This record gives sequence, structure tokens and C-alpha cells, in this order.
Amino acid sequence: MTDKSKTQSKTKPPPTADNDDIGEETRLKLFKAQLECRHLEKRAYDLFLQNLIKGTSHLGLGQEAVAAGFGVSMRPDDYTFCTYRGHNHTLVRGVSMTGILGELMGRECGLMAGKGGSMHLTSVEHGAMGSYAIIGAHLPVAAGAAWSAQIRGTGQVATCFFGDGTTNIGAFHEALNLAAVWKLPVVFVCENNLYMEYTAIEDVTAVKFPAAGRAAAYGLDSIVIDGNDADEVYRAAVTAHAKARAGDGPSLIEALTYRHGGHSRADPAKYRPDGELEAWLARDPVPLYRQRLVDYGIDETVITAMEDETIAAVDEATEAAKASPRPSTDVTETEVWADGGSSWRN
Amino acid sequence: MDVVMPQLGETVTEGTVTRWYKKVGERIEADESLFDVATEKVETEIPAPAAGTVTEIRVGEGETVDVGTVLAVIAGDGDAAEVATNVAAAPPSSPAPKAEARTRPSGGPSGSGGRAKLSPVVRRLLEEHGLRPEDITGTGPGGRIRRDDVLAHVESGGAGAPPATAGDADDRTVIPFSRRRLLTAEHMTRSKATSAHVLQATEVDFHGVDAARGALQDDWKAKQGYSLSYLPFIAHAVCQAIADFPNVNAHVDGDNLVVFGHVNLAIAVDLDFQGLVVPVIREAEAKSVADLARAIHDLAGRARTGKLRPDEFAGGTYTITNSGAFGTLITAPIINQPQVAILSTDGIKKRPVVIEGDKGDDIVVRPVGILAQSFDHRAIDGAYSAAFLGRVKTLIETTDWLAELG
Amino acid sequence: MAELTYRDAVAAGIAQEMERDESVVFLGEDIGAAGGVFKATVGLLERFGPDRVRDTPISEQAIVGAAMGAAMTGLRPIAEIMFSDFLAVCWDIIANQIAKQRYMTNGQVTIPLVIRTGNGGGARFGAQHSQSVENWAMAVPGLKVVAPSTPADVMGLMAAAIRDPDPVIMFEHKALYAVKGEVPDTEHVDTLGTAKVLRKGGDVTIVALAAMVPKALAAAEQLQAEDGISATVVDVRSLVPLDTETIFREVKNTGRLVTVEENPRLCGWGAEIASLIAEECFYDLDGPILRITTPHIPLAAADNLEDHMIPSAARIVEDIRNAWD
Repeated sequence: MTDKSKTQSKTKPPPTADNDDIGEETRLKLFKAQLECRHLEKRAYDLFLQNLIKGTSHLGLGQEAVAAGFGVSMRPDDYTFCTYRGHNHTLVRGVSMTGILGELMGRECGLMAGKGGSMHLTSVEHGAMGSYAIIGAHLPVAAGAAWSAQIRGTGQVATCFFGDGTTNIGAFHEALNLAAVWKLPVVFVCENNLYMEYTAIEDVTAVKFPAAGRAAAYGLDSIVIDGNDADEVYRAAVTAHAKARAGDGPSLIEALTYRHGGHSRADPAKYRPDGELEAWLARDPVPLYRQRLVDYGIDETVITAMEDETIAAVDEATEAAKASPRPSTDVTETEVWADGGSSWRN
Repeated sequence: MDVVMPQLGETVTEGTVTRWYKKVGERIEADESLFDVATEKVETEIPAPAAGTVTEIRVGEGETVDVGTVLAVIAGDGDAAEVATNVAAAPPSSPAPKAEARTRPSGGPSGSGGRAKLSPVVRRLLEEHGLRPEDITGTGPGGRIRRDDVLAHVESGGAGAPPATAGDADDRTVIPFSRRRLLTAEHMTRSKATSAHVLQATEVDFHGVDAARGALQDDWKAKQGYSLSYLPFIAHAVCQAIADFPNVNAHVDGDNLVVFGHVNLAIAVDLDFQGLVVPVIREAEAKSVADLARAIHDLAGRARTGKLRPDEFAGGTYTITNSGAFGTLITAPIINQPQVAILSTDGIKKRPVVIEGDKGDDIVVRPVGILAQSFDHRAIDGAYSAAFLGRVKTLIETTDWLAELG
Repeated sequence: MAELTYRDAVAAGIAQEMERDESVVFLGEDIGAAGGVFKATVGLLERFGPDRVRDTPISEQAIVGAAMGAAMTGLRPIAEIMFSDFLAVCWDIIANQIAKQRYMTNGQVTIPLVIRTGNGGGARFGAQHSQSVENWAMAVPGLKVVAPSTPADVMGLMAAAIRDPDPVIMFEHKALYAVKGEVPDTEHVDTLGTAKVLRKGGDVTIVALAAMVPKALAAAEQLQAEDGISATVVDVRSLVPLDTETIFREVKNTGRLVTVEENPRLCGWGAEIASLIAEECFYDLDGPILRITTPHIPLAAADNLEDHMIPSAARIVEDIRNAWD
């Protein structure tokens, strides 16, 4: 769906087996991905309250459909670049829950042995090339990975997720321009959740759609989608990934969505007007998609089993992470350099 | 179930309840907001840990309490979310180690009566040589003592007052260690502390060597200007034996034995009792006895006149030390680090030797000497070392030296 | 041996490595068709084609960010930042991303890239195009930092930097681009983390970098001839890793350390060396450590003003004489 309308969810025709372009198998994958994101992040929230997760954490509760839709569309060797709000985007690449929770908890079993933390989840073996915690920095990096794929001729695509606040920083514009000029196989995905950190994006941005409204400046289509509808996200992802793989260059997609919580653990999000959260909770992507499955005739027992299975997996990962020891302090002096060490002198 | 003040961050010790969403008696669902808490770092909503009825609120709005304090009690439905039960049991953050009380070192110049301040190296050298600042003539600005002033004083034989030690003999002579002496001392003690020294010795009959020397000595001396000694023959035999026992021609590096393809043969040279240096003959295995004789003579001569280049001391892989001129019987040498073995050659003297022949044993007079090798038992074992020594002995006794010297 | 200029040695080093390894790519502003604003990359586009030698928009973040992404995924990019002053424009990508990504991911990624940049003063360009900012880079864990002073070192350290599996920032000195020197005809690869002793003396050890090296050598000759002060001169070449072995040995030999730095005074690279010497060679020091730097003020443009600020051979001589008396 392009331009001008906010969402299509209300006008969508009723589902029938005939118009199902996505299919049951993919739908179940999309639902499973959203479920895993939802339950893992809820658990992260609980663990933070128990002081088992220190520091900060930026949750994507309410935004799962975006990560799920793009994640399911990716090829296993594609690249994901995401932000500090990146638990979901990392998880949907098939990364272990224990590795993620362990990293959040600062345990030895963490993806990066406790050296990265919540804001930097990375699993290169799954194509999750990093979570970047300085706004905008990873857009040029994603472009570079796409350039590398282009030169090496591998057909890989880089998908780069970021928030609405990123659209006002220079690196966004530098990366979009370079990607367009070099026709790079990269898909830029802006998750517009209405707020940067504490301030509404519309209060500080010159155009209505902070990403799509800038697309024309780089010769790109202006694309706005319902980021709470995993089907719509998935369709947009398939189209953009195919375009990139065909050598037809980058896409910029703005997915409208909503963050159920505050910016980070320090933010109760009191700045939100009355009724806004409730309105978006009514469009919570996870129950929405559950109903979609029912509408398409998928058996309730299949859905329930999937939910139970997900919660059991989260429970198991929680226990495994809790049982994992704190990393040895020896690791602090490793892996600055490719030789595994950190020496700066002879 | 008790609801406690959560620890919202590593360094947070207390929190303020800013709002209760439920009153006593009201029902609450798990994850429904129960209260707001503010700390210096965070302001956030806290959900109920379990579903049930709020039966007690112990801390009112605006009150600040320590982490872990019970704020409220919920009478649960029996299926309380397990994850929240250990809130109170969350480990307290470990206290930072107390800074050690530091005592300021009593630094600064030690009141030398208004004299110019001494540089660190000058202080060190004065101490090492038992000197006082007053002993030295400073040539720096304002009479400041420079490093070179101390060194010049020492070089010119200006020993300082001896360090105050016990003893009342007045006829003592204090000889400060020279730089070379210091280096030797350090190297020797370090070697003893590093290597597991084992001494092995073998008796060698130099009959064949003597025959060759006897035949060629006059001619050699006339041409070269010095005598042909036993040492080049021994060195030659050692180099050839190393071909069969390469592990004695090696360095220990950490947990590795580094074995060398070439023999860089180090020869200990005494500097007329004024110290010891160990220059190196490179690729000695390729040299003839005559070449070795010339190389040894050249190195020893230049060592005594101080004309060796620094690189001529580097890279030794096996060392020979020779006290033979003084007629010693046997010497237990200390390994030249990081090598793994060193051979001592001592006095060679005519002795009665029993020769086993077809017709029975005969006693003959033969020039006999003892070759003694100290080896590092970390690197090689006794049998290997012994076999190597045996090979050296056989080579010395059976090589056709006349032909070799051709 | 062939005689090359420092600028030609840049292209020679890059060409040697692009020829050898097809994963080496090169991007930056005006580097291709224009041959570089300092003419240091002439001929590379013609020789290796536009896929591997890419002109970019004026987008420093995109340049170093793309280099990082490419380095993480199998290429060995060389990124040019035209003037080192512009590193400030993309410092987030360099200091926060490139330098830290390997560590934060506990070794999951390797970032074999080179950022080469024109550094230093002497060209009357004023305060935003003349800075010596090698100490910025040195202050960030995770970056290797080299600054060659001769054409042979440019070529050899460029090759070493490209082959190194970690991010290396190479500070080329703009005032040295025209300097000529002998460069080996055969493949030439140097070693990162090694200083060079260029002159041996007994009285004082002068430690210098990049354009300060020829000035230190000239000062040493003058001190020898006019004052009988015999100086050792060490070209540091590599700030990270730092060849403390060579520097310590040479300072112990003379008992005196003088650093000659083009960066402004505060937290210049010489401060770190002075601190290391004070900690680890204290009992070999025979006099105070002397740091000769550009003063802690922005560089002025006019020729006499700039010359007054950047250490010259005459100032090195004068400062050492003053320290001697």
C-alpha cells in the first residue's frame, strides 16, 4: 500500500481461502514469531523488576508485527541491522531465547557473554549483524553490508530497522542517498510509533510521515503500511526484498505502530494523551493476528498449543539463563582485536 | 503475597511510592498496574505480581522506603506468577570495595642541605655504588649531578664509602660490581633459577686429535701465528653430533622447545679475569676445523680488545666453555639462557689407558680429557644427553683428523 | 628501489594490495575520477574500475559507515576522509561503532578496514583544515593508529594496515605529500606497532611523529654541531599499538626524553609516552621530560602565524638548549 492513507485494516475484505495469498504455513510462522517476541519481552520486563536484568531495556511490546513480517520474509543469509529496541528483530532470525535473556541478565550464556547488553544484541551466525544504540548510525552500516553483497554478487539483502526519531538525523539522509545512488540491496524500515523518546515525532518533524514523506527526496516510493498487521508487513517485506534482490535498489518503508510501554525502563510514558494507549491496545498486533488465524479457519487447538509451547520455551530459557554463571572477568580483556586480545603496546 | 519495593537499577537503594492504583479490598489482575514508584533514576509503573485481592497497603503515597520493604499484601488466587516471588530475594548489589587508606609516601629529596636535586637515575647509581652526592663533581647547570658524572666517577675508580654493614675489619676492599659483573651475576642466578641443571661427563681419548696436531702444528703456527688447540676439534665434533641430536641445539621459549637448523656456537671467553663474554660463531656446522680455529682465535682476540660488535653476541644456540688451559679436571657449567645445554672442556692429560685388543688388554699412554655437559632437564632427558655426549666422544676418537685438516 | 613522492606512495600501497586481494575496495570523496584532492589516488579508478574504486557524495558518515558494513561482511575497504578535521563529522561511526563492535559482540565480527586521512598543518588552510588529530584516535580503545613520515613507510604501513584484520586509521601528513624517498620495487609490507630509530646519540632521545620527524632530525644535527648535544631520534610511526620496547630502550640509553608533537598540547600523544616513561623508566631518567607541541589554541591561517605555532627545527633546538642549561 502506498501513500496517503494511514491503514487499510478496517477496509480489508473478509478473509476467504481464495484470497489468501499468504497461506497457512507462513501465517503460522508469522504468529509464532509475534508470540515469541511478546512473551520474551514480557519476561524481560518481569526480570527487570526482579533486578535480574540491570541497566536499561527498551521493549518493543506492541511492535512485534514489524519484526515478524520482515523476519519471515528474509532469506537465512540476509542481514538484519536494528536498534537498541532490537530484541524482537534479533529473535525472529532464530536466535536462542537463552542467549538473549542471558545477555540481558549479564550471564555467561549471553549472546555476547555479557559484553554487549540489552542494546547490542548480535548473532552473526543468524545474520543479526548488530543492534546499534546511537540513533542513525546503523543505516550507513547496513548500506555498506548491502554494498558488500552487491560486489560479492551473493543476492543477500540487508534490512535495517529504526524508529521515527531517526529520520531527523543526518546519517539517515546520507545512507538513503548513498543506497539510492548505488542501487544497494537494502530495505530501510521505519517503525513509526509516534514518539521519539518522550516527544511526539509530529511535534518536531516538518512532514506528516517522517520517513515516507522524505522518500521522494531520494527517488524512492513513499510507502506507509499498518505496522500492527503482520500480513500487511509481510507483503511489503516480500515486495521490497524481491526488488532489492533483483538489483532494483533500496526501499524505504514506514510502518505505523505503537509502543505499549515507555521509551525505556525509566519512562512511564505519562506524556501520552488519555485514551491513546487504549485505542492502540485495541489494535494489539498479537490478539489481532490470533483472530486472523481463527478467521482463516485454523483450529483453536493448534493456536493454543503454539501459545503454550512459546511460554514453555520462555520459561525454559529463563531458567537456563538464571542458572548460567556471571561471566568470568577474564573476558573483559578479550576480543578488542581480531587476535582475541586487547593489547595496545608491546 | 508480599509486594515489595523493587530495586530499579544497580545502585538504587530506595524508592518513593507516588501513586496507588488500587485500594485495600480491591481486586487486581496479574500484570495490572498496582502502583507508581519513583527513584532518583527511574519513574515507572509497577504491575501486580499476581492476581488477587489487595488486603493491605503499608506504605502510603509520597513515602520513601528501602528496596525490599513490603509495600502491600495481595491475597492470591493460588496461581500466583512465580516469577515475582523472589523480588525480595534479589541479591543486593555487592558493596564497592572500601578504598584502602593510603599513606602518602615520604617522598622528596632527603634534606641534602640545599644541594641541587638529584635525578632518579643519579639516585639509583649513587645507591648502587655506595656513593654520596658529595663524592661527585656535578657538571650540570648549577653543579647538578648528571648521570654521566656518576659513571665517570665510578669508571675512574672512585669507589664510594662502603655501605654501612656489620663487620669491623678495616682491611676490607669493596669492589663495586662492574656493569659486566652485574649482568653476569643476573644472568647466572637467573639461569640457575630457570633451568633444571643436570651434569653429565664423559672421558675422551684425544689420541687421534693429538696425532693430527702433532703433524700439523709447526706448519700451522708458522702460517697462522698461534697454536692449534684442542678446542676447534671439539667444536667440530660437537657440531657434527648435533646433526644427530638436534634437540640440544635449541632454546626454551615458554612451554616450547625451539630447535634450530643451524648451529650458532657460542664460545665463552675470559677477559683476563676482568669478566666473561660469550661471542657466537654463526653456522658453525658448515665450518672446517681450520675455519673454526680461526674463528675462535679471532673472536677471543677481539673480545679481549673490546672490538666485538653487539650482534656478535646474539643468537647463540649451543655453548662451549673451556677451562682446559688451567688443567682443571671437570667443570659444571651454567647454561647460557635460553639455550638448553653447555659443554665444558677441561684439562687434557696423558694417562694410562686400557686398550682391549684381540690378543688381550694392553695399557697404553693416551691424552685423555673429560667433556662435561650441563643440560636443562626441562627440555631433554638424560639418555638423550648421554647419547649426544657419546656421539661427540666417538667422533673425536674416530674421525680421521689429518684428512679433515687436509 | 624507486624514488616516489609520499603522495605517490599512497596510490602505490593501495594498488599493490588491490592487485593482490580482490576484496580490497576503496571509497571516498573525489578519489576516483579526480584522483584525490591531494592527487594521492591518481590512476586507481582507471586501473581497478568503478566497482572497486567508488566516488561518494560528501557524506562522511555514509563513507565510514558503509566501510564498516562492508568490512563486517567480507570486504576489506579503504575509506578516505579528505581532511582529518572531518573525522569529527563521522566520529560516532568511528568511535562508537567501528571501534567497539567487535568487543561488544564478543568477537562475532571482524572489521578489517582502513580509514586514511590528510592530517596536519603547514598549508595555511586555517583552523578547520590543518589540525593534527591523531590523539583523538589514540584515545579510543579499538582503533589502531599509524602516521608515517616517509614514502617507504606510507607504502609499507598502508599495506600492513590493509592486511590487518582490525580497523586502522592512517594519518597521512599533508605537508609531506611532496616529499620524495626511496621505495622498494618489490612487494613492500611493513609491520604495525613498530617505531624506528633514525639516529643514535648519547645525550637525549627525541621521539617524533609524521611531519615532526624530519624537523627532529634537523634539530638533532644542529644540536650536535653547535652544542655538542648528541640526540637519538625515534620515529614513533604507530601510536596504537605503541612500540614501548623501542621507545623505552632508547630513553634508557640517554636518560632524557623529548617528545615533538604537532597535536595541541593537552592530552597529546606525547603525554601518554611521558607518563609511561615516568611510570616504567623513572630510575633511568637523568632530567625532566620535555614536551614540544603546538600550543593549546586553534591553528591560525597566515603563514607566519601558523609557522609560529607548529614546532619547527629551530624551536626544538631552542627548547632542548633551554632544558639543558
